[in-house]
Formats: sequence, C-alpha cells, structure tokens
Amino acid sequence: MKPEDYISKRKFMEELRRYQKGSVSRRHFLGVTGLGAAAVVLGAAMPGLRTTPARAATDIGDRVVLATWPNYHDPKNFEIFTEQTGAFTQVNVFGSNEEMLAKLQAGGSGWDVFVPTNYTITTYVSEDLIEPLDLSKLPNYEAGAFDPRFSDAGIVDGTVYAVPKNWGTTGFAVNTSHTGGKEMASWKDFWDRTMDDFSGRTMVHDYQLTTIGNALKYFGYSFNSVDPKELADAEELLLKVKPHLFAISSDYQPAMRSGDAWMTMCWTGDGKQLNSDIPEIQYVLGKEGGELWSDYYAIPKGAPHREAAYALINFLIDPEVNAREVLAHGYPVADSRTNALLPKEILEDPILYPAQELLDALEFGAAATLTDPNRAELLARFKSA
Amino acid sequence: MTKRERNWLLLLPGGAWFLIMLVLPLTVVFIFSFGERGDAGGYVPAFTLEQYANLPARLTAFENTMILAPIGTLISMLIAYPLAYQLAVNTSRKWKTVLLVLVIVPFWTSILIRSYAWIYILGGQGIPNLLEMLGIEGVRLIYTPFAVLIGIIYGYLPLMVFPIYVSLDRLDKRLLEASSDLGAKPFATFMQVTLPLSVPGIATGCMLVFILLMGEFLIPALLGGGKVFFVGNALVDLFLQSRNWAYGSAVAVTLIVIMLVTVTVYMRLISRLNTQRDDVSIM
Amino acid sequence: MRVYAICVYLFLYMPIAIIALFSFNAGRHASQLQGFSVQWYGRALKNPFVMDALQTSLMVALVSALLASVLGTLTAIGLQGMRGPVRVIFDGIIYIAIMIPGIVIGIATLIALVTVFDQINPWLAALWPEASEAPSLSMGMGSLIAAHTMFTMALVVVIVRARLSSLERDLAEASADLYATPFGTFWQITLPLIAPAILAGFLLSFTFSFDDFIIAFFVAGSETTLPIYIFSSIRRGVTPEINAIGTMVMLASLILLIIAQLILRREHKA
Repeated sequence: MKPEDYISKRKFMEELRRYQKGSVSRRHFLGVTGLGAAAVVLGAAMPGLRTTPARAATDIGDRVVLATWPNYHDPKNFEIFTEQTGAFTQVNVFGSNEEMLAKLQAGGSGWDVFVPTNYTITTYVSEDLIEPLDLSKLPNYEAGAFDPRFSDAGIVDGTVYAVPKNWGTTGFAVNTSHTGGKEMASWKDFWDRTMDDFSGRTMVHDYQLTTIGNALKYFGYSFNSVDPKELADAEELLLKVKPHLFAISSDYQPAMRSGDAWMTMCWTGDGKQLNSDIPEIQYVLGKEGGELWSDYYAIPKGAPHREAAYALINFLIDPEVNAREVLAHGYPVADSRTNALLPKEILEDPILYPAQELLDALEFGAAATLTDPNRAELLARFKSA
Repeated sequence: MTKRERNWLLLLPGGAWFLIMLVLPLTVVFIFSFGERGDAGGYVPAFTLEQYANLPARLTAFENTMILAPIGTLISMLIAYPLAYQLAVNTSRKWKTVLLVLVIVPFWTSILIRSYAWIYILGGQGIPNLLEMLGIEGVRLIYTPFAVLIGIIYGYLPLMVFPIYVSLDRLDKRLLEASSDLGAKPFATFMQVTLPLSVPGIATGCMLVFILLMGEFLIPALLGGGKVFFVGNALVDLFLQSRNWAYGSAVAVTLIVIMLVTVTVYMRLISRLNTQRDDVSIM
Repeated sequence: MRVYAICVYLFLYMPIAIIALFSFNAGRHASQLQGFSVQWYGRALKNPFVMDALQTSLMVALVSALLASVLGTLTAIGLQGMRGPVRVIFDGIIYIAIMIPGIVIGIATLIALVTVFDQINPWLAALWPEASEAPSLSMGMGSLIAAHTMFTMALVVVIVRARLSSLERDLAEASADLYATPFGTFWQITLPLIAPAILAGFLLSFTFSFDDFIIAFFVAGSETTLPIYIFSSIRRGVTPEINAIGTMVMLASLILLIIAQLILRREHKA
C-alpha cells in the first residue's frame, strides 16, 4: 500500500501549493490537518519500517488472541510459546466478567482463549457462547490432577467447557506505612478507614461482584446477596464512601506501587506481587469473609484461531510452564503436578494459602450475581454518582 | 435523462448509505429505548416508558457532562485566543506556518497515549512530587475533575486555535492601522475591531469542541479514575458492563435530544449575533 | 505575549516529551526510568499485532476516505440542483451525522447491525446450498469501513458544497452554451474547480478514520485498529513499546511534513 497508488507526489504538491497561494481559509486548516494523515501513510510505506514475523508460521497459524485479567501471566511464557510454535499471543485485559460477557454477547470478539471465573461458566453455556473442549487436543490436561473444588465449575452437565487456570481469594492490600500501627483485619476496617484517615487513598474494583460483595460484607450479609433490602444497604455505604475513593479500577497495581493509593481491593496474586516488591504492602482477608474463586481457560464459540487456542491452553497448563506462571503471578493452582514443581516457600505462603478459619468464611461467587439486573445497575449508579 | 433524474441518481448511493448506517441505527436505538433488558442482558422487545422514567439514575453523569463540557470549551477558548492572536497578528509570515503546524503536531499522537502521559504528570511522581519539594504537601491531582478538565483542554486546544486563527488572519491589517491612526487605544481597537471580527472563528471553535466534549468518554475514563463520569462513560458502561441495551438506548436518545436542542439554539443565537452567517457552519 | 505563546507550547509538548523520554526506558515499567535503551522500538516493529493493527488502520482509513470522497462529492453535486423536501431531508441528515457524538454512532451501529445480522444469518444458512458453508454476516472490517464512511461522507459533503456554492455557476452555463455535454462540463470545468475541496475532504476523512477510537471500539468486531491496540495495551499497564509506537508515528508525520515544506519553499522560489 504505497501512497503513490492513490495520489501522485506531484499532484499532492500541487494541491499543497494551492493552499499556500490562496488566502488562508477553513480549507487551509483542513489541508494542514490532512497532511498529517498523509504523512502517516508515507511513514508506514517506508521500507525497513515494516518487518515480517521472525519465522514462518506453523500449522496453528501465527497468532492467538487471549482475553484475560491484569498482571495474570509471565510475559516470558508467551515468548517461549512464540519460539515453539511461531504464534504470537495478543493479550487483552479486562476488568470484570461482565465486560467479557458483554463483548462476547455483542458478537465477533475475535478472541481465541478467554479466562472466565467459576460462577460465570453456566451462563456462557446457556447463552451458547462457549465451546465444549476437545480434550484430545489438550494432552496436558489430566482431570485427576486437579482439586475438584477448583475444577468442578469447568464441567457443566458432564461436558468439559473450561480447564482450571488458578484459584484465589479477594481481600485487600494495604500499605502499612500509613496505618499508624492499627491492625486492619476486616471489611469493616476497610470501609471505615477509607472514610477516615485513608480518605482519597483507597481503590475499589470496577467490578460488581467484589465491590458490591465486599460492601455487603460490611453488614455481615452474604457476598452473593441479591436481596433488594441488603443491596440497598450496600448502595448506601458505597455512595457514602465514593467521595473518599482514589479511583474505581481493577488495575490497581500502578497506583499502589507509585504510592498514590494506600489501600485497594485486591486479588491474591496482585497482593503477592505487591508484597514481594514492597514489603510494607500487606494482603488482608476480611475476617467477615468475601470471595473465593477459581479461574479457567476456555474457548469462545467462533474463535478465529481455534487450533492455536488449543495449543496455547495446552502450553499454559503444562506443569512446568504453569509453575513459571505461578512464580510470576502469585496465585495458587489446583494442579498437583504443578505444585510438585513449586518451591516450599510458595506452597506455604500465607498470602496464597490463608489460614483455614479465614478460608472457611469465604464464598464462591454465585451465577445469579452475573446476570442480576439490580446488582449491575447498582454498580453503574455507584460509578455515575 | 433529465437533470432531475440525474440529480436523483447522484444522490442515490450517498442517500442509501446514510439510510443504512445512520437512519437505521438511530431508529433502532429509538425503538430499543422503549424495550426491556433481557434476563442475561441485551434487549427484549416491549413498549414501556420505564427506561425514560429511570433516567434520573444517570443525572450526575448528565450534570458532569453539561457542566464540564461548557467549562472546558470556555477555558480552551480563553487559552486559544491569545495564541491564535499572536500567530495571526504578531508573527512574521515565515514563522506562521511552522508555529501553526507545531500546534497540530501533538494531535498526531493518539489521544490515548497523550492522556496516559498526563496520568504520569498529574500522578504522585509528577507535579505533586515537585510541589512537595517546594514544601506544598498533600496535593492530589490525578483522578479528579481537575485532571479531566486538564485532559479535555489539552486534547482539544488545537481545534480551538485553528478557527480563531483563520478568522483573525483574514482580518485586514489596515483596519487596525486605521483604528490606531484615528487615535483609538490598542485595547479599544481590540474590543471594537478585532474581537467582533473574530466572533465567527470563536463560534466555530467553540461548537467543534463542545460537540466533541458532549460525547467524550476516553479522557474521563483515563484521567477520572472511574469517578468522574460523563454521559459517554455511562453509555459505555450500560452497553459493555451491565448490558442493558434498552436503558442505554434511552440514555443515548436523551443525549441526542439535548445536543440537538443546545446546538440548534446556539447556532440561532450566533447567526443573529453576526451577519457573516456563512462562517458559522460546522466545519 | 511571546512568553504566553511559549507557555502554551510547553503545555502542548510536555506530555509529548514524556512519551518520547519513556520510549527509551530500559525497564518494563512505564513509570520508573531505568536506563537508556532502544529495545522497545525493535520490539514494536517486530510485534505482528502492532504491524497488523497499523495495516488495518491504514486500510480502513484509505478505503473509507476514498468512498467518502466519491460518494460525498456525488451527493454534494446532486444536492446542488435539488430544492424542496429532498434537500431539507439531506440537510437534516448531514447535520445530525456531524453533530451526534461518535459514541452514540458506535453504539447505535453496533446494536442495529447485530440485530439485523441475527435476522439475516438464518436466512442465509437456509438458502445456501450447503448449510455448513453458508456465509454469516458479522461485525468486522466491513462494518467499520461502513461506519467511518458514513460519518466522513457527511464531512465531505459539507466541504465540497461550500466550494460548489462559491463557484460561479455562470462558468458552467457558459460551458454549456459552448455545446459541451453535461458530462464534459463536469469533467473539464467543475471537477478541477472542486478538486481542492475534495482533496481536503479526503485528507480530513483519512485523519479522522485513522485516529478514531470510539466508533471502532464498538463496531470493529474482531478487527484491531491501532487506537484499539493502544487502548488495550494501556489497560494492561503501558510498556515503553506503546511510547515507541507513538513517537514513531509522530516522527514519521513530522519528517514528511518538513520535506513537503522544503519542497514547497523551493518551488516557490523557482
């Protein structure tokens, strides 16, 4: 695609000169603006700026598109995958399961692999948006190796739709250099301190399940409640807290690292990553409870590069690859083969494996919350308030 | 073939395109705005005014938009005018083009990337950090309405500079000279000659920027931290998060109506204000 | 006054400087400088998704700008001779097309096309000889080009019409008196006169389409344009790769602009 193809250089210059000669007019403005566009075309056509992929594509094609969550993979693994197969991985990051569902419902997402959370899979199946997995293409999947607590949700009516990636908890991360020595142990602390000395320094997820769920926990209600009265209480709290928030975003690591934010709702792995780099940042599970979850790899209906999708999933659940993933993302996995390869410190890490009494208080997300119109609307009202 | 037939033929492809890609979509949105949300989201046909009745739930988004868009437009204009004046009146021909081009060059970098740069500048390691060194502590800029305001002014300043520049550049310099020869003070000359003649440029620039700001979504999303919500953000949320197409359509229809009314009234006012009506076209 | 202008330029260029600075960052994090490196330029150029996105953006911008220029010009000429309701309707449509925010256009196009495709696709499947191979319509490059063309066509109509109405109609009539065919008149007289306006419209359309994020965000389906790629990269934490892309696009534009200016200046003198 050379620019000469649609307008000759001479012509172009002639036109340009016409603008110059004529008195400066509105069209002069357009001309100058448009010149930028033309310049971009020329730039793209310059030899040497374009390169072809480093190696010939194998039979799985040269690309695969992965829809996943922030800070969720070891970038090195994708480089290895490219070296092994010739396929590049494009990583698209999402902030909530609702966003993933909306994109798939609108059609033509272009994803090959996506990472749904346990409670959403039945909805994907009933909406006919997810592909039953051909296990013969996933030799690294060994059903018996997984803890059923964290792999069951991938199987709907006996069919495997999704294979486990890792599991985790939803707590909060707090920079203890600002707590003044007072212990933070509950969601009550989280919300109360936000309205007090953490004002302007707290982040919550842009995600109905956790933001509403953990507000419900303030009152001791179920994390999954869809009861209108209980949701009304949660909404009142959220609206009261909103002026004290730093931001509403599911990508909270940059702000926590830069010191702009002091406390945030947080998933296990982000807590681990932050804590490893900045020890003052601690990961806390609210003692009232909260969310326990498990994420899965799945293939959406109509994935454009299906073979590459299988190859990528198979690659990522390879125990060795998966172990590298764990070291990078800091989430526990349900795969006993992977755990066998992990160092003891990881397997005994209190962030990844919280004390039993804390775990016992947690709940898995319920499918009803994903499609419940009241919860969706509550979060939207909270954000637009 | 008569001339009339020929004209019809010329209008056919463009007309068909507008029909399918503009009239049809807007009609669908209008119809959907009377529908209901499906169980798993999306749209279910119905006839109800419930979505419109529910509009007050997005009142803050409408308020934010209708407050910040005019303020942003006004401040852009106040910043752009002296610059445009300087370029059009006080700059030699040689430098004019270069300086003018320099105003648009930032425009060629995606607004996404430029806004991201502002996250850094306004974030804790940027300006607040500098202020701290000067002894001013605890200033928070990022993820505030102020950050969004900076972002929108920055993003659309060139669109304001250009039309004003064009209207000032057309101004006959002899008028200014005549005015000062007649003993008018520079300020009086400006108020009585320059300013009135540049009204068309101001009007065009303000309208361009205002239209874009009313539909803005990116800058509040990036610099507002999910807290400073414009109608655009409410729309994105309704379609891409809560999947309530019916309610989203009602919000969209409302936004369209508000814009149609504001812009039409604005254009009427301007054209009454100023006889050079031609210059107040949208482009 | 001069100081003021310098301040505004500083304001305009501070973010640009930051972008360029961080594009040479050796580290992965966009917020901490860790030494000098040009590795991110190499990475960006080797990344097939970046190159693909660039290609998609150029393709969409080129095709929609061409379509918009041709159809917009035809429409403008057709409208020139029209009076009455047809003209009023077209005026209204063009006014609405330009005034409606991109976000509404994007959303409206998305839900309309998804709904229409849902109706058409079963028919296509039923009518196709072999059901398994039946084409199915979906959002993608086609819908993206169509949406961009709609919006930019409105811009072209406005620009070309302004030019047409400022033309002396007598000129065309004179040519008709000289027994030129209407087509000949158009080809030899009208077209050259409105060519600058068409070109301006084309360039503006191209720029708009190349830069557009919000309409594409909704209607591009599985296609990734450069702005969409940048948006999704920003969400996973900007690596300096994005800064490198931005810097390169800007430099390319700037260099070409300077070359164009130099050539112009020389021809002016000649």
